[in-house]
Amino acid sequence: MVAEGIPELVYYLGFITVNTLALVVILILLVSPRDKKPTPVKRAPFESGQIAVGRGRTRFIIQYYPYLLMFVVYDVVAMFLFAWAVNLRTLGAAGTIPVLVFVSVLLVPLGYALHLANRPENW
Amino acid sequence: MVDLPPDPIQMTIAMITSPLFLKVAIFPGLTSIGIIAAILTWLDRKITARVQLRIGPQYVSPFGGILQSFADLIKLAFKELIIPEKADRFFFILAPVFGLVLGAGLIALIPFSPETLISNVEVGLPVFLAFVTLSPTLVLLAGWSANSKYPFIGGLRSLFQQTGYEIPLWLSSIGVVMLAGSFNLTKIVQAQSTGWFILPQLLGAIIFLVTSVAEQERIPFDLPEAEPEIIMGWQAEYPGFLFLAAQGAGFVKLYAFSALFATIYLGGYLGPGPQFLGLFWSLFKTTIMIVLVILLRGAFGRVRLDQLLKYGWTLLLGLAIINIAITYFLIEGFPAI
Repeated sequence: MVAEGIPELVYYLGFITVNTLALVVILILLVSPRDKKPTPVKRAPFESGQIAVGRGRTRFIIQYYPYLLMFVVYDVVAMFLFAWAVNLRTLGAAGTIPVLVFVSVLLVPLGYALHLANRPENW
Repeated sequence: MVDLPPDPIQMTIAMITSPLFLKVAIFPGLTSIGIIAAILTWLDRKITARVQLRIGPQYVSPFGGILQSFADLIKLAFKELIIPEKADRFFFILAPVFGLVLGAGLIALIPFSPETLISNVEVGLPVFLAFVTLSPTLVLLAGWSANSKYPFIGGLRSLFQQTGYEIPLWLSSIGVVMLAGSFNLTKIVQAQSTGWFILPQLLGAIIFLVTSVAEQERIPFDLPEAEPEIIMGWQAEYPGFLFLAAQGAGFVKLYAFSALFATIYLGGYLGPGPQFLGLFWSLFKTTIMIVLVILLRGAFGRVRLDQLLKYGWTLLLGLAIINIAITYFLIEGFPAI
């Protein structure tokens, strides 16, 4: 049965979501004290006591960007390997050889991408 | 004649005494998760203190300050809720709350014993990993919505770290799926009745442990919330109980990952003695894993982000692929395993 356990999972997730949200709403409305007229200093973004300079969402150099690109590709590949792994004993060699070809074709560009991503002068 | 509506009191009693409701609300569900997360906070502080030759919390207690985290809970609930001026209030409040819900959702899939299991999904292991995959999105959302520099940097770090360690995590658990021939966590435990998977999967278990510590953002992989560098990172702006939710999610994940490790590598509820001891065995193994992960915090320093990504993507990924190859030859060579 593929659908076994899914109603319980949805029930559980719904139960904890509703309860946690109810708790948060109760805490916000009833328990946590609120300052009616907060001073600008109080609501300023925290920067270790310094006066905040510039915008919060600054331009930020994402040096490790190639790793994220690889994640987008190879996360899906990992999922394919799951499908192969669960049927390993029933498939036998007929199912394993295509997977080997598939993985080895994908590992070569991964190695090259890692070679480029691991070099700080490319960041 | 008009049909009388069913008695609401009777219905409520019937609902709250149903086994599923007891499991969802008491154990292994909501109430026990809250209490366990609070005790883990205490355990974390106490063990770290002992490692560092301190005493740790000791006053609020019948025993060694064990009620300290409940006192903190009350204190944080009564703190003023200060939300930064330019923050996106909706996502700022909802992101840690849903992080907590997502962490607690992981527990539903863990078979603590054949009976105390909320959801016996056929694809339990991938569902667990899929829930884990969602959490960097929430952390990035939390960091972005605060509209402040340090939370933003922390959110980005979390994104890099959790995505980088996710593929080794998935690949290391593939070995277990290959041996058990199933995604179902109960069937994986049953498949270990001839021998725990930590023996044929020692390499995979080590990779799984390292990557799961990285996914929990604990020392030595706590870059997204590094206190000396980026002042708690994405949690920097969180006031009062929202901070509690953000911290609590980490401890709930510690509990869930330790329970998963005990389930897929240490034989879960299997152990000597009669069958009703299964619950004791799974909790015992989970506790051992939790203490091990906490001790890592005392033993190691924080790694640098570029080291983290480099070793995650090259060393751990390579070892995970080697582990799959080893497992394949084990299965082909010794079909009895």
